[in-house]
Amino acid sequence: MARHDEKSILLGGIGGQGIVYATTLLAKALFAEGYYVAQLQSYGAEVRGGAVIGWIVYSTQPIVSPFTDVFDTVLVLHQKALEEIEKKKFTYTRLIVENDLVSSTIEADYRYPIHRVAKKLGLEGNENIIALGILAGHGIVSREELRKLLESNKKNIRALEEGVKLVARD
Amino acid sequence: MKKRHFSQKYLRIETLPTLFCPGCFNGVVINALSKALEEEGVASLRGYVFVSGIGCSSWIPSPYILADSLHVLHGRAVAVAMGVKLANPKLEVIVIGGDGDLASIGISHLIHAARRNLDIVVIMVNNLVYGMTRGQQSPTTPRGLETTTTPYGSFEYPIDMCRVLRETNANYVARWTIAHFFQLKDSIREALFRLRRGFRYIEVVAPCTTYVARRLGLKPSSILRDLLKNSKRVEEIRRGDTIGEDSIVVGIFKSEDKPGYIELYQDYSMRARGVQSG
Amino acid sequence: MNRVFITGNEAVAYGALAAGCNFYAGYPITPSSEIMHLMARELPRRGGVFVQVEDEIAAINALIGASWAGSRAMTATSGPGFSLMQEGLGYAVMTETPLVVVDVMRAGPATGQATKPAQGDLMQARWGRHGDQVLPVLAPSSPQECYDLVIRAFTIAEELRTPVVVLSDEFIGHGREVVELAGEVRIPSRRRPRSAREPPFYSEDPRVPPPMPRLGDGFNVLVTGSTHDGFGYRDTRSFDTHYKLVKRIWDKIWLNRDTIFDYEAVGIDDAIIGFVAYGSTARSVAKSVEILRREGIRAGYIKLKTLWPIDTKPIEVLAERVEAIIVPELSLGQLVFDIERAAKNYTKIYSFNKVGGGEPIYPRELVELARKVLSR
Ligand SMILES: Cc1ncc(C[n+]2csc(CCOP(=O)(O)OP(=O)(O)O)c2C)c(N)n1
Ligand SMILES: [Mg+2]
Repeated sequence: MARHDEKSILLGGIGGQGIVYATTLLAKALFAEGYYVAQLQSYGAEVRGGAVIGWIVYSTQPIVSPFTDVFDTVLVLHQKALEEIEKKKFTYTRLIVENDLVSSTIEADYRYPIHRVAKKLGLEGNENIIALGILAGHGIVSREELRKLLESNKKNIRALEEGVKLVARD
Repeated sequence: MKKRHFSQKYLRIETLPTLFCPGCFNGVVINALSKALEEEGVASLRGYVFVSGIGCSSWIPSPYILADSLHVLHGRAVAVAMGVKLANPKLEVIVIGGDGDLASIGISHLIHAARRNLDIVVIMVNNLVYGMTRGQQSPTTPRGLETTTTPYGSFEYPIDMCRVLRETNANYVARWTIAHFFQLKDSIREALFRLRRGFRYIEVVAPCTTYVARRLGLKPSSILRDLLKNSKRVEEIRRGDTIGEDSIVVGIFKSEDKPGYIELYQDYSMRARGVQSG
Repeated sequence: MNRVFITGNEAVAYGALAAGCNFYAGYPITPSSEIMHLMARELPRRGGVFVQVEDEIAAINALIGASWAGSRAMTATSGPGFSLMQEGLGYAVMTETPLVVVDVMRAGPATGQATKPAQGDLMQARWGRHGDQVLPVLAPSSPQECYDLVIRAFTIAEELRTPVVVLSDEFIGHGREVVELAGEVRIPSRRRPRSAREPPFYSEDPRVPPPMPRLGDGFNVLVTGSTHDGFGYRDTRSFDTHYKLVKRIWDKIWLNRDTIFDYEAVGIDDAIIGFVAYGSTARSVAKSVEILRREGIRAGYIKLKTLWPIDTKPIEVLAERVEAIIVPELSLGQLVFDIERAAKNYTKIYSFNKVGGGEPIYPRELVELARKVLSR
C-alpha cells in the first residue's frame, strides 16, 4: 500500500465567526491548486457562541479518510474551540491562535491580533478571511487561488492581504 | 340483438357483478360517471387514469372501470395522482375514494392538492362511515349515528369537505346525493369537459346501505325521497344560517376557471429556463 | 470527465441528473435538503418536474404515480422522513415500481440529533416495512460513490423494476471531496410490453422482471398493492396467487444478488486482522488499515457498497484467515449481526460502536482496538 502524503488542517472558532465558510474557501483553494481534498465541519453547531470546527485533509493522491484526530496545522479564533479540540484529544504539530480571544497561557506557535487588526481597519466580520491570509502567509495555501475565490468582494480581498501581512511582519 | 347498457363500454365486463353489498350506491356513481362520458361521446378511456385508495368506493375504478388505474395505499390516492399528472399532464387523472380515504387519513393531500389547484378531478363517495372495515365512525359521520366505534351514537362534530375546499384555491366544488343523479352526472361533465383545469371536487352522499341506511331507518323504498327531502341547496343558505344536523347541503359550492397547477408549473419552468444557472 | 469539488449531497443530485432523473418530490429535512435544493434549481429548467410536497408520505406516493407515468423518479430524506416513507416503499415493492430513495442518515430515533451523522437506519432500510419483501440498499462512502451509486441505483431500479434505497449519512452528505463526473451515462430503459397479452405482473423467469406498461399507452393496466395475478386482478384469498407473487418479487432480487451485491476488499489475502464496514465509517477503516500495515500488522478490510441483498461469502473468506474481525458502526450495532451470522464459527468478532454528537470513528481508535484484540 502506498504511503500517502496526506496533510490536515483544522480551523476552529465559535458560531458566527464564519469558520465553516473559511474552511470551505480554504478547501476550494487547495482543490484549485490541484490537490485531492476532503473537507468536513461540525455541521449544525452554528449556534452563536458554540464551538465550531472545520477540517481538511489534502493530498496529491485520493484521500483515504476525511476523519483524523492528528493535524498538521490548527488555527483557532476562540478559546472555546481550543477547549473543544482538547476535549476531543486532537493532536497537532503547529498551533496558530487569535491573540486576544485565546488565553495567553496557551503555548501557541504563532499568535496574531486578528480581531484588533480587523477592528482598526474596518474589517470586522472578516476575521475568518484574515485567518486565511495568515495560512497563505505561512505558505499553506496559495494566496492567488484564495484571491480568485474572493474576487467579487473587495473587503474580503483586503482582509486576505492583511492576514498575509501579519505573517510577513513576524 | 340485446341492447347493451350504456356503462358497459367503460367497464371490465369480466369482473362483474361487483363485489359491493346488495343495494350499494357505488353503482350509482359508476352509472353517473358512465352517463357523463357517454353523453360527451367518449368512446374509450385511453388517456384517462383512475387513482383510488383503500375502501369500498376505491374499488369503483379498480377493477371495474376499463382504463389505466392505480389502486394505491389508504389515503394516498391524491398524492399518487399528483405524480401521474405532473409526470404526464396530457393524462386525465380522476381520483375516486371514500370519506375515510380522502377526508380522514388522506385529508392533508386533498387540501394541499386543492391549495395548488392541481389539475385533477376528485370524486368523494361519502357513505358516512368506513364501509370496508365494517362501519366505523368516519369524519363525516353525522352526530348521533350509531357505528361500530360509536355504539352509543357518534358525538363528534363532523367535517364538511365542501365548505373546507371552497376556501382553498380549488376551481370547482360540488356536492350531490345519489338521489340527484342528473345533477351529479352534469357536475361530472362540467368538471371533466367544460372546466378541464384546476382542482375539481365532487362529493356524492351515498349512505352505506349496510352500516348507515338501516341504522337511520332509511328503507330502500324511500331512501331517495328521504335524501331529497333532507337536502338543502347551497344557494339558499345565507351566511350565519344554522343548518339542521340532518340536512345535507347540496349544489355547486364554487365554480371558477383559474389556471391550475400544471399551467403555473409550466410558466415557472419557462422562467427557470430563462435564468442562467449559477 | 469533469473534476469537481462537491459535497456528497450535491453528488447525489448530479448523479441523479446524469442518470436521467426527471421527477423529484420531496420534503425538507436536515441533513438531506441540499439534494432537494439542487434538484429544485435544475429540474424545472431541464424540462423535468420538481415539487415540494406536503410531507414525505406525499413524496413517496407522488414518485409512484410519476414512475408509472414513465418518469425516472427520486426523493431524498433522512430518518424521520424515511420512517414516513416505509408504507409507500412497500407499495413500490409490491407493484414493482422503479424509484430511488436516498436516506442521508442522522442520529435517531425520533428527532434525535438532526445535524449529526449516524448509521442507524440499516435495518430499517432492509426491513422497515410490513410483509415479505426485499429491496436493494446501496451505501456510498464518499461523494464520488454518492455520484456513482445513485447512477447505479437508477440502473438497478430500471433493470429490475424495483425501488432502491441509497443510504448516505451526514458526514458524506456535507463533506466536500473531489468527484469525477461522467460525461454521459446511459441507463437502460425499462422494458415495455409489446402487447396487452403480456402480463405486466408475471414472468416465467423470476430473475427477469415483467414488462411495465406506461400509463396512457392503452394497456388498461391495473396496478394494485393488494395481492394480484399476472394481469393485476386482485386476489385477496388464494394461497397460490399470494405465494407466487411475493416469492417471485423476492426471488427477483435474491436471484440477482450477484449483480446487485458489490464490495471492495483490501489487503485481505494475508491479513491477520480484518474489518468490515460501510459508508463514512469505511473511510476510517481504510486509514486504520494503512496505519496498521505501516506498523507491520497485516490488516485488511471489506467495504460493503451494497447492504442488501448481501452475500456473506467474502466475509466468510476473510473470517477463515484472520484472528478477529472488527465491525465499526456509527450505531449501537446492526451490520455486526450479518458478520456474526457469517463468521462467528470461524473467528472472533468485535463490534465498535459510537453514535451522536457528530463524532466520527477515528482511525486511531480502530488501530488501538486492533492492537488490543491481537494481543489477547
Ligand atoms: C394505513 C391503513 N390504515 C387502515 C387501513 C384499513 N382500512 C381499509 S379501508 C378503511 C376505511 C375505508 O373507509 P372509506 O374511505 O370511507 O371507504 P368506504 O369503504 O367507506 O367506501 C380502512 C380504515 C388501511 N388499509 N391502511
Ligand atoms: Mg366511507
